[in-house]
Amino acid sequence: MGRAVVEAVVVAAVAGGLALLVNGVRPDGLPLVAADPYETLVPCPEPGGPVEGVAADDPVLDDPRTFLLDARTPDEFAAWHCPGAVNVPYDWLDPLPEATLEELARSVAASRARTVVVYGDGGRPDSGEHLGREISGRGIHNVHFVVGGAGALQGGAR
Amino acid sequence: MSASRVAAWLAVPARWYLGWLFVSACVHKIAEPASFALDIATYDILPLGLVNLTAITLPWVELAAGVMLLTGARVRPAAVLVSGMMAVFLGALLVALARGLDMSCGCFASQGASEDPISWLTVVRDSVWMGLSGFVFGCDRGLAGVDAWLERRGWHA
Repeated sequence: MGRAVVEAVVVAAVAGGLALLVNGVRPDGLPLVAADPYETLVPCPEPGGPVEGVAADDPVLDDPRTFLLDARTPDEFAAWHCPGAVNVPYDWLDPLPEATLEELARSVAASRARTVVVYGDGGRPDSGEHLGREISGRGIHNVHFVVGGAGALQGGAR
Repeated sequence: MSASRVAAWLAVPARWYLGWLFVSACVHKIAEPASFALDIATYDILPLGLVNLTAITLPWVELAAGVMLLTGARVRPAAVLVSGMMAVFLGALLVALARGLDMSCGCFASQGASEDPISWLTVVRDSVWMGLSGFVFGCDRGLAGVDAWLERRGWHA
């Protein structure tokens, strides 16, 4: 074992020396010490779970086994909302408090819905899509969001 | 055939596989040291002063270990090298996963996080390779290797 380790160290040293030699003569060789820090912007992991977009005229929206969620503000919800939709305003700073999630999970379970469809403001980013990701990642399955949000729903499709 | 003899023969394809793995892993890193340096920097473990040095030298150590395993020259030192590198890679992976980084492994060609993301599967994969290198270290008896060939001709200690 000891001899193998010593030989391994020697091999590593020789290979490292050869690497430095080659690096020194190649035109695109790296400086031994980087002058500036590397720009290593690593995106944060996408929060939440899988969510699939559906069009505003998708038949799933008319399915009685679909649970509709409106992610917009209460004022927007009061001005217009899809019949039967439940308002869960999406707060970008605190997307889904635990109490809201529990209440929502109970409501979805009680409705015996097979699908949950969320619509939001249809912006970029879309509050509906983000609320959908939140609830999908926290135990509610088969979640979709309406592409284009409330605007698309009001734009003639419904 | 005894169990140790069977293990010695099994160690031959195992070291060929590991050798091929390490040679194929180092090709892109040697060709594109800047990309590999960026991969290393993305792990955010090494100080900046060691990033380039590691990016320059590590692929050549991989190449040396890979060639040694493929040819059967000094297999046990090569297996030590592979085990050591796998231990380092595993440590880096675990740190990155613990930090929740969504990034490329950088194990082979530099790719985006979506093409070659790190995950617990990467940890399992690397652990298997590390176990395989331990098996080669423990069971290789120089079969079908340069060392045994040289020894038969009395050219080797």
